[in-house]
Amino acid sequence: MIAESFEFPEINAILRWQDIFVSFNKIALIAVAAAVIGIVVFLLAGRKDASVAPKGVRNLAEVSVEFIEDGIVMQTMGKSGLGWTPFLLSLFVFIYLCNVPGIIPLIQMPATARMAIPMFLALLVWVIYNGVGLKHQGIKYITHTIWPPGVPVALKPLVGVIEFISNIIVRPFSLTVRLFANMLAGHILLVTFALLTQALITAETMQFLLKPMAVLPFGMLVFLTAFEVLVAFLQAYIFTILTAVYIGGAAHPEH
Amino acid sequence: MHSAVVHLHGSIVRFITAETGEAVSKDPGPIVPELKELYWSFGSFVVFALLMRFFLFPKLKKGMEARYQGIQSAHAAADAERAAARAEVADYEAQLAAIKAEAAREVEAARNTLETERQAKLAEVNARLAQQRAAAAAEAQAERDAARDQIHAAVSDVAGLAGELATGRRPSPEVVTRVVSEVMAR
Repeated sequence: MIAESFEFPEINAILRWQDIFVSFNKIALIAVAAAVIGIVVFLLAGRKDASVAPKGVRNLAEVSVEFIEDGIVMQTMGKSGLGWTPFLLSLFVFIYLCNVPGIIPLIQMPATARMAIPMFLALLVWVIYNGVGLKHQGIKYITHTIWPPGVPVALKPLVGVIEFISNIIVRPFSLTVRLFANMLAGHILLVTFALLTQALITAETMQFLLKPMAVLPFGMLVFLTAFEVLVAFLQAYIFTILTAVYIGGAAHPEH
Repeated sequence: MHSAVVHLHGSIVRFITAETGEAVSKDPGPIVPELKELYWSFGSFVVFALLMRFFLFPKLKKGMEARYQGIQSAHAAADAERAAARAEVADYEAQLAAIKAEAAREVEAARNTLETERQAKLAEVNARLAQQRAAAAAEAQAERDAARDQIHAAVSDVAGLAGELATGRRPSPEVVTRVVSEVMAR
């Protein structure tokens, strides 16, 4: 009965969006909105009087800056990494603002639940940390990356392959998949429990039993929505801190 | 299966099977990135990151640092004022202690002076009293002796007269005087 009335849509139906106009869909809209919101927030924050105790939008912006500086840069790169704060701040804010629409009513789609944004950001980070490594260590960066100091000569071929795959291939892949898969899983869970709630409420038979039971998936829906608030923040934080770790490791291999 | 493209739905390509006429989805896999999402997100992020790097962050950070420096200098000024106030308090307490010590010294000296003067006056008064007492005692003794002599003389006269009356002859004054003296000495 339920199985008959409960029809889960195709995966693409909950992930792919029609164009709003040519080559511009909901994901692109969220990405643009994330950038615009970030710019507007920091623009407004910069216009507020800095000499008095910050409040409102300036407080939000300053808390973000201090979170990135104290919680990420100083923990992973030290004082020498403070120059990376603007990039890491942009990364964190952009990912967070792309994640959060997953729980905003009527939007309900995290842009990072699509492959494009995590993949492009991971590739950007990959280019940056390899560029930083080459800039700071020159060509030795490649040998240091493939053969960490102290590896016995006999193990170099094996370690070289493992480290090459780990540092050059797996890192961007894991960055991408971690963010994408977490947000996609959260989105699918929310859709599932929302549809299940709807199916139970609109069931045509055994209504006396099925309608009250709708409270169970609805409760899960509420719980998962709250959980996604945490996930949205956590995934942005994890992506940003791993970026800082990779850049710090490339700039200072001795760490 | 014979099929034909019927329309483009975003990037989703749909086909109609030749046999049934039903639409068959030939959507790309859900993990395949869409090019339009890539370049819109790339453009958005790059603009955001560049603005953040060259305009938004420096302006915000400049304001934060100016405020932090203001707070730090205010803290430093407060610390300096606190130290100066503590030094003043210490100086005041030192002065107060010196004044208290001086006052205590002076009080002690005054007390000693008073005690000395009191002792001197007391000794003087005691001496005067002893002198007066001695003078009074000497005077009393003299009066007592005078009274005794008068009594002795009177008793001697009476005893001599009594002896004369009893014996018919007057006793020797030396005997009477000796007898009276012995009696009065008892």
